[in-house]
Amino acid sequence: MAQIDTSGGGKKKKGAQKKIAIHVDFTPMVDMNMLLITFFMLCTTMIKSQTLQIVLPTNEDVKKENQNQAKQSEAITLILDTEYNGATPAVDEETGKTIHNIYYYEGIADTTFSTPKYLQKEQFVGNVNHEAQGIRKILLNKNQQVMEEYNKLKEQWKNKEITKEEFQQKAKANASDSLKTRPVVVIKPGPNTTYEGLINAIDEMNINQISRYSIELPTHTDSVLLRHFEQEKGLNIIRPTIRAAKTAAAPAGDEASASNQ
Amino acid sequence: MGKVKIKKKSTLIDMTAMSDVTVLLLTFFMLTSTFLQKEPTIVYTPSSVSEEKVPMNNLVTVLVSCADKSDKLEDPTVTEGKIFISFTGDADSTLSSENIRGMMLDEAVAIYNEQHKNNRIALNDQQKAEFRTTNMIGVPFAALPQVLSMSVSERDKFLGDLTNPMVGIPIDDNKNREGRLNDFQVWLKAIYNVAQRINNEQAEGLSAEERGTLSNLYTALMRKGQGVAIKADKDTPFTTVQQVFDNLQTMKLNKFSLMTALKSENEPTQ
Repeated sequence: MAQIDTSGGGKKKKGAQKKIAIHVDFTPMVDMNMLLITFFMLCTTMIKSQTLQIVLPTNEDVKKENQNQAKQSEAITLILDTEYNGATPAVDEETGKTIHNIYYYEGIADTTFSTPKYLQKEQFVGNVNHEAQGIRKILLNKNQQVMEEYNKLKEQWKNKEITKEEFQQKAKANASDSLKTRPVVVIKPGPNTTYEGLINAIDEMNINQISRYSIELPTHTDSVLLRHFEQEKGLNIIRPTIRAAKTAAAPAGDEASASNQ
Repeated sequence: MGKVKIKKKSTLIDMTAMSDVTVLLLTFFMLTSTFLQKEPTIVYTPSSVSEEKVPMNNLVTVLVSCADKSDKLEDPTVTEGKIFISFTGDADSTLSSENIRGMMLDEAVAIYNEQHKNNRIALNDQQKAEFRTTNMIGVPFAALPQVLSMSVSERDKFLGDLTNPMVGIPIDDNKNREGRLNDFQVWLKAIYNVAQRINNEQAEGLSAEERGTLSNLYTALMRKGQGVAIKADKDTPFTTVQQVFDNLQTMKLNKFSLMTALKSENEPTQ
């Protein structure tokens, strides 16, 4: 292949030039290429990062009357917490994932603790056997009307009745359809929550097509609930914070609404 | 005695085919890949189901360093919450990353000097040129002239030592500073000012409709919320990330994106 065949004819004529097979050795070329490939493989990324869009409200003090009040029946509050094992987040031995706990209540906080459901504990489980589990199941049930329509749209898209763009547009309109009962979720990351816990929570909002959610800091009422809950269940929820807050806590606008619309 | 004749065989292996394959592979890698950006610390972003890709152009990345994971430090949290900023410009040659960085630097230094009349900083042309070619910067303004005078390897070593208090853009003291901005906010303000200026220049003489189709850093920042991306480790405490959020909110940059890795979810059947 790499040599040029110069033997023509067959019969040797007298006085014909002596023919030399030209053979180019490609080994150094291959060596060099391999080195270059190795270099490119080590120095490059193939996977591009994904992004999550987030819109936060202004952090200036908003007057009480200017704040949007969520309907009691629609509101659900998630207090996030991450379990720590010493100075590092605790890891579930089975799944290898960090353990994040969610303490949630619906509507207004029940500080009289009259019902056993004043606070409930859940975790980010995701889907098990193609069935929503954990906090996802609760949010899914809350957003049933939107999700039914969303699944129909998804079916249409999968059957190629609508294009991907149409699907995305319709899904967005569907998620913010004010005629449907939609929950308003308040995400309150506790002082020991890791960034992953927050992302997981926002992710659940996207999965369950919840268009109205806000991120706030836990209030005094929340700590009262947690304190009562931990005493009742014999848990250890309120622990000294792993990291001392480096700034004074940002103002916790009680109902300052944020949405990702 | 009969001699056994051993036939001499050439041991040459034809490498042409091999060479063909390697050249193809090389071409593939060169075309599909983007270079890893040099970052002073490695962070592992949490994963999400979001399918939106990080934009290639017109992006300001805010890197938040995480606690030291090597177990070498007594207090691993000293390396946590250091802020680094990198700027990526447009593919357009007049607004390339280098030019954008130059404009950001001039603007930021001007804002800083106005605020700190007694501790002005001055950069010479060489230091400015150095900044334009640097991908990621993360030092207080006061240390900027010194760090930009270092050679590349010296600077990498300097920025790589996260225990050094002079590494990381100061972000604390968000409140009650009587209108005085911290260094991180100075950068954000400079980014906003430069982006707005470019947008105004581009929008000049265009109809309202054409303006709507403009795509530059300003539109990415204000309309799409893709201008600023926060890259933080999954184990970073929320309090640290909250601080970055809070500063962005103070500078009225309420729309931004969070960098995540892709997570695959098995679909529910219902």
